[in-house]
Amino acid sequence: MIHLVSHLYRRTMRKGRLIGLTALSAVPAVLFPLLVAGGLEGAGLDEAYAGVVTGAGYTFAIAALVISGGILREERDSGTLPYIYMRPYSRFSLALASVAAGAGAAATLGIAAWALSVLTGLFVGAGPSVTGTGIALFVPAAIGYAAVFVPLGYLYSRSLLIGLGYVLVGETILAFVIPGLAQLSIWRIAMSIYASFVEFGPEAGAGLGPIAPGAGGGIAKLTAVLVAGVALLTWALRKRDAL
Amino acid sequence: MSATIEVNGLSKWFGNKVAVSELSVNFSPGITGLLGPNGAGKTTMMRVVAGLQVPSQGSVSILGKDPRTDPEIYRKVALVPEDEAVYGHLTASQFVTLAARLSGIDNIEGRVVEAIHLVEMSDSSDRKLDGFSKGMRQRIKVAAALVSDPEILLLDEPLNGADPVQRARLIALFRRLGEEGKTVLVSSHILAEVERMTDQVVAMVDGRLAAMGHISEIRAAMSDKPRRVYIETDQTRRLGSALIQLDGVVGIELDEDRLTLQVTDAQGFARGIPKILADGNYDVTRIEPTDESLESVFRYLVEGE
Repeated sequence: MIHLVSHLYRRTMRKGRLIGLTALSAVPAVLFPLLVAGGLEGAGLDEAYAGVVTGAGYTFAIAALVISGGILREERDSGTLPYIYMRPYSRFSLALASVAAGAGAAATLGIAAWALSVLTGLFVGAGPSVTGTGIALFVPAAIGYAAVFVPLGYLYSRSLLIGLGYVLVGETILAFVIPGLAQLSIWRIAMSIYASFVEFGPEAGAGLGPIAPGAGGGIAKLTAVLVAGVALLTWALRKRDAL
Repeated sequence: MSATIEVNGLSKWFGNKVAVSELSVNFSPGITGLLGPNGAGKTTMMRVVAGLQVPSQGSVSILGKDPRTDPEIYRKVALVPEDEAVYGHLTASQFVTLAARLSGIDNIEGRVVEAIHLVEMSDSSDRKLDGFSKGMRQRIKVAAALVSDPEILLLDEPLNGADPVQRARLIALFRRLGEEGKTVLVSSHILAEVERMTDQVVAMVDGRLAAMGHISEIRAAMSDKPRRVYIETDQTRRLGSALIQLDGVVGIELDEDRLTLQVTDAQGFARGIPKILADGNYDVTRIEPTDESLESVFRYLVEGE
């Protein structure tokens, strides 16, 4: 299965796309150390931090949507899917490999964005403590988004549009209006894990909504999302036309 | 010979469009040509057989297994899809290696070299597929299919884009695979190519099975279509009036130096004509049926004329 994951990962990580999406993901993360270096403190810093985390929620989610939603969608659209579909792998293995490749690709973007923010922090003298834990935000988010966007990409040709709707409307507006939906927000789940590593001020903490901070609950929810995503994709690979 | 691919009552529709309708056909080792005009349902049938599409009705089994539920069967089945699609960022060698790795086969390096050699692309094995012509892509797709040494090979328009020399070589390769006992199903709308590969055909029209079997058997079964026999002679009128007496000759067209007969009883005609020619001392330079070819048979099936 490792060959399958490797193939899917390498295919989606084209150089131009990698640079563009890393840049998109990194913009808010890089802003924060710059704000710290600029002398922002207290409530203003907390407010800025909340803005940065929320902004990263948009930019990284969009980058993850593009990169992981395309894992199988591109194979279908370009007609190359038979080269991976007609192999002696169970449909579950194929689904798992696809989500793993999607998560790996999104995590690469997240880690690159985080690394850029650390480097920026070091460069402006903000210190690694400001940005050092960002990886705990991006990696869980990458896994969660891949579990949602890889099946979405396989099932719908307009997955990009649907995914944008989920990110821009579902994760923000609807999750604020309907507290129950916040429990399904990938970004909030990732933030709840991240909150175990950093101390959120009231502004940044408000971004979590009704979600309680804590790695345990976050990881449990993330696992549930992952299981559901792989199960949905397995079903789709078995029951829906591959071409 | 026992069937390796069994298609039973297969129908496939997309919304209101019926692509394949109640198709039942078996395929055995050897080459079978899958014929049909564009839109006949060949590619859909091929995809359903390959497990890439779900039957709306009916079933498909390959070596007794359902490709949709038993992916292990893909160790023995390979498809060369109609689409030109390949991974353009890979070299030819990397593409075939990927196919070998994903198929879980041993001794990858040797098999890759052999498969690329089979399609005569060893000189281009380190070139990226992006720079390949359509014909070269077709050949490397064939190599990727052959690298796992499949028992069943599904070839959807495999000669598209290949130049005449490449076509001849691919046809020879497919014939050899058929002779080795592999089940080779080749779809094509270029009848002359199919005719060079095999006499065994399945013809589809509008998603339905129009005919199957040996070309000559299919032609013989078209009892409502008199055979046309061309005779070259300089005694057209005299020979024509003699031949019209033969049972089964239902029409004659006269030309300056040739006759075209319409014959309903080909065997009776074949038995009777030597005696007529000998008795009348006719000078005949050529006799040949004009609609025994696959193209003629196919035209009858598709156009009904």
